[in-house]
Amino acid sequence: MSFTVLLIIHGLLAVALLGAITHQAASVWLPARKPAGSFVGRFRGVGAAAYTNGIIVLYICTFVFGSIIYPEFRINIRNIVEEVGQHAVMGTFELKEHFAVVGLAVLPAYWFFWRLPLADEHRRARMCLTAILAFVVWWNFLVGHVVNNVRGFGA
Amino acid sequence: MKTPRSFGLLAIVFAAAYAVVYVVAVAQNYALFTYHPVPGTITMGVMKPYDGPAMYWYGWIATGALGALAACLIACVVPATLGKRVSSVWSWVVPLGVLLVFAYLLRNYFLT
Repeated sequence: MSFTVLLIIHGLLAVALLGAITHQAASVWLPARKPAGSFVGRFRGVGAAAYTNGIIVLYICTFVFGSIIYPEFRINIRNIVEEVGQHAVMGTFELKEHFAVVGLAVLPAYWFFWRLPLADEHRRARMCLTAILAFVVWWNFLVGHVVNNVRGFGA
Repeated sequence: MKTPRSFGLLAIVFAAAYAVVYVVAVAQNYALFTYHPVPGTITMGVMKPYDGPAMYWYGWIATGALGALAACLIACVVPATLGKRVSSVWSWVVPLGVLLVFAYLLRNYFLT
């Protein structure tokens, strides 16, 4: 029961993180050129730097909660997923755990290049680090969702 | 709050070194410790499973952190002129490459 609660918290943190990193990635890769009127334009037109600290805190919290519930997955779920021959699902989950660590490793650089005032010479590093984090967060969110559907807690 | 410029160098070194040491630790199974979730015990180094599965992931993270810390300590003693020549590109090129290496290392999951 407590693992289910932790999994839900992990998922909710991931949703918030997904929204924040997607806003930032969209605004840095597809910046709005003029005052935005549409939904998409406003989505892209946010002040990207303001998201940085929130993204870092959310990433670390999501990672910590994921680390806490991981043993439950290892003991009760992984073997069953393997027994039913869902190798691709296991592969995507293995990638998830490693991608999450790589995302953790880039956080100090990500923070440094996003600190204000933004330095022009670090624009490319900012863009690429944000894209890497966005990819990792999207991958991990989708894989977590799929694995939970295959054999979620309490299943 | 002012951030020293040397933090930028350390952040670049940390990102690159952590990613590289971590992928090597995973590929060669250099886990600093092993967690046995069923009995809830931790043993130093790589231990075979007993009384349930063994988890090396936490140990790999610790190995990566130790390697990155060592690399940062080395970067601290590097002359400032040399440190300035470290491009910010390394902070994302190396982790990006490591993501691709992981995809390659785990390809058998998708080919079977």
